[in-house]
Amino acid sequence: MSELTTISVTVNGEPREGRVEPRRSLADFLRQDMGLTGTHVGCEHGVCGACTVLVNGRSVRSCLLFAVQVNQQDVLTVEGLSPDGVTLHPLQQAFHEHHALQCGFCTPGMLLTSLELLRDNPAPTEAEVRLGLAGNLCMCTGYVNIVRAVLAAADGHAASASTAAGSETAESPPGALPRFPTGKEIA
Amino acid sequence: MSATSHATTLGTNWVGQPLPRKEDGPLLTGRDRFLDDIGLLGMAHVAILRSPYAHARILRVDASAAAALPSVLAVLTGEEVVRVSRPQRGRIPLPVSPQVYALAHDKVVYVGQPVAAVAAIDRATAEDALDLIEVEYEPLPAVVTPEGAMAPDAPILFEEVGSNILWHDTFPYGDVDGAFERADRVVRERVTIHRYLSTPLETFGSIAQFDASTQTMTIWGSAHQPGQEINNVAAALGLSPGQVRMIVPPMGGGFGNKTRPIYHILIALLARKLAGRPVKWVEDRRESLLALCHAADGIMEMEAAIQDDGTILGLKFRNIENEGAGIDFAGRHNLLMLSNIVNCYRVPAVSYEGYSVVTNCCPVIANRGIGKPFMCLAVERMVDAVARETGLDRVEVRQRNFIQPDQFPYDTPSGQTYDSGDYPEMLRKALALLDYDQLLVDQEAARAAGRLVGIGIACGVEPAGSNLSYGMLISGPSQLLSGQGEAARVRMEPDGSATVYTGGIESGQGHSTALSQIVADELGLRPDQIRIVATFDSHSHPYTQTSGNYSNKFNGHDTAAAIGAAGKVREKLLARAARMLEVAAEDLELAAGRITVRGAPDRSLPIAQVAARAYWSLNDEAPDDEPGLEALHYYRNPRTRAPDAQRRLPVQMGFSAAAHVALVEIDPETFEIEVRRYGVVHDCGREINPMIVEGQVHGATVHGIAAALLEEFVYDDDGQLLTTSFMDYLKPSSADVPMIETDHLETLSPWTPLGTKGIGEGGAIVAPAAIASAVEDALKPLGITVSGLPITPTRLWRLASQGGKRYPI
Repeated sequence: MSELTTISVTVNGEPREGRVEPRRSLADFLRQDMGLTGTHVGCEHGVCGACTVLVNGRSVRSCLLFAVQVNQQDVLTVEGLSPDGVTLHPLQQAFHEHHALQCGFCTPGMLLTSLELLRDNPAPTEAEVRLGLAGNLCMCTGYVNIVRAVLAAADGHAASASTAAGSETAESPPGALPRFPTGKEIA
Repeated sequence: MSATSHATTLGTNWVGQPLPRKEDGPLLTGRDRFLDDIGLLGMAHVAILRSPYAHARILRVDASAAAALPSVLAVLTGEEVVRVSRPQRGRIPLPVSPQVYALAHDKVVYVGQPVAAVAAIDRATAEDALDLIEVEYEPLPAVVTPEGAMAPDAPILFEEVGSNILWHDTFPYGDVDGAFERADRVVRERVTIHRYLSTPLETFGSIAQFDASTQTMTIWGSAHQPGQEINNVAAALGLSPGQVRMIVPPMGGGFGNKTRPIYHILIALLARKLAGRPVKWVEDRRESLLALCHAADGIMEMEAAIQDDGTILGLKFRNIENEGAGIDFAGRHNLLMLSNIVNCYRVPAVSYEGYSVVTNCCPVIANRGIGKPFMCLAVERMVDAVARETGLDRVEVRQRNFIQPDQFPYDTPSGQTYDSGDYPEMLRKALALLDYDQLLVDQEAARAAGRLVGIGIACGVEPAGSNLSYGMLISGPSQLLSGQGEAARVRMEPDGSATVYTGGIESGQGHSTALSQIVADELGLRPDQIRIVATFDSHSHPYTQTSGNYSNKFNGHDTAAAIGAAGKVREKLLARAARMLEVAAEDLELAAGRITVRGAPDRSLPIAQVAARAYWSLNDEAPDDEPGLEALHYYRNPRTRAPDAQRRLPVQMGFSAAAHVALVEIDPETFEIEVRRYGVVHDCGREINPMIVEGQVHGATVHGIAAALLEEFVYDDDGQLLTTSFMDYLKPSSADVPMIETDHLETLSPWTPLGTKGIGEGGAIVAPAAIASAVEDALKPLGITVSGLPITPTRLWRLASQGGKRYPI
């Protein structure tokens, strides 16, 4: 046990405060102090990617980061993709339709890594998706349907972007998929 | 295609449709609650001190400093565990069984074996306290290979057994000697398999809470077989099974691995010490790789009596299975290999000699397909060897020896009956899927250009369901455990929807969606009107000792239990509606949420209206009727039985099959192996949900590919495990594997209610054999044959640089 440090973090758009031991990992902070158990811990070695969250829009392994390192930073977890827990983000919808999850334990990390991937490369090839997700292990699906889902979400994203570009007035035309948000945008 | 005739009166509106899964919502949004997501008031957290030695005597354990640390709530050592609990026995009672407790007491027999445990206010404090426990060991020589453990001067793990050979037996079936006398020639092979594991991404864990006033232990825990776990804990703690309540939260993968009785017992013992306070332990990844379980490594020596035309007349097997330092699953790999040992082939005479040997490695438990991946690898390597030695084409040798479509149901020499299949068509279809003829042309061109390109071919049965009487082959007919079944309860709610409870356990396979489709058809409802209570709770869910999620049993056993219970509810519903409509129940039809008089569409009632009266209007009841619309059904497989006088019995109960074709390319300088294409044609009978079936095929196949090329638990000679993180124990990433191309063949099982067969294990059974075949084919220009896994670039390079011709060296 050592001294507790106070940190202020924006989590899924909401300002949150915590008092943590310096050794508390970001994953433990999110899960145990913030009650956001959607971030899963699969290896604690920084290999499996299950604990991936976005900090200031970039993917990080929350098991390898200390909570004190995200003081004054902006964190997006899987819960932030669907604030009401019912309405699915387009990526989540694509995962659902393409059966891209079985046990679901890797899914939160997969979603956040995919979100970053598609933001940086909105129309990836299959090889680019495979490379982009190579830091996230899935033990159930053999990746086939995850890759299909991400490619399908990219198609939907591209479709919605082009529809939006063609329409100067409507910010979100009927039937179009919303843009992929980053943590900042959600905030 | 040969489709066995299948009679069912069930509707098939929903069964067969690729519905998106009802499980997905909470998993996608991060709102699901896995074991580690459970927090209870006052919860204590456990850390486990583990042996650094593979084999050592424990001379002294001093945990006083740990116990004195502020915020430490309880410490448990082996000495106390022996005093307050009873030892474990293996699943199959052995003639002489070692005494195994939740903690080591006099001796440790593998690295990572639990030696002491601390419960504290948080996990970090518990881990701090472990550093304060002093253990004095006297190291003993260790042995990690099964052949080493069988040597006369080997260190003995369990003195009470007197030898490291826990079990040894020989099973001759048919005229084996005659087959070898008649043979034109005998082909010999020696094939090895290594230790690996499917490693669910969520690790194993247990939470226990003891209510001293009622002497009731509640366990929230990882489990595949709730009946087994409940009875293990009850037996160890001296409680009635009725005093142990087991709850199994959603599991983040299982693959058979989450079956280690000592851990639930250990956490329960701590909970009893801290009566009232919940106690939680979740394994970290290092603990999991080190000490949860591994699939057994083994050494198989084989002889095949063949004719010059490639016909196999008889097979002899001698298998040595490395059980590690465990007794929980002792003998199981062997018996499951033995029972499936002819794979897809018509071989009339077989002898199987099996050894189950203990070593100072991690204990073995079930892993996806238990025993069958090695069975398939060994048999398929032998079939390729037959092709090699006779100069025949390997496709032709397979076609010549396949059990033919008109031979089903087919009795194998060891007493198993294959229900249905069309293996010749299955292989033809798989070759067509990847355009085999074109692959051969491309391969020839690639070889001419100096490239190492290989095509792998393998076929395998995928057994489903286990007749647990098979343990009698070791323990004798007095074994209590026999047969296989499942239990289900269906309750139609007053609003006409239905709720289902079963003894099965979900760990990602989509059972809730599949069961919803089945029960919807049975009750004339939509799947979204069927609620599956997927979190097993022994206070609400019916179960038997054979219940759970293992041995691919869902397709024939869980479905039959649910259909049985739903059918009883349907009868009650129709009987009630018949009274209300004043017609005979036989004249009623049930569909689309309504009960209608056949031929009189204007005379009908909504199901919900009938259901409501069953609960609200008790004056409706005749004196002998009971209100409510609820039914319990215990299904038992009627075809299970004990071994006969020749020790033949059906061990597994239904037989899917698959043909795999793999295209690999090996870099001639670095020997890096790339899987370029991979095709699977599988036959699992009727598909309840084709989307889920395809997902199972993908995942299992990638497990098998990774087992062949990446995953390996490596021990040094002292029994230290060198692969204790995912940086050393290599899992496949999305960049390591190709899209799995699939196609389907359907031969219905005559023995399951819907004609289904197993799905989920097959990919992991056949893929290792297909990869071995592909690599051997790629290395043909170098004259290298493959008779062991895993196949790694380093080892291949070393072999090739030494001019070796047989992998592994």
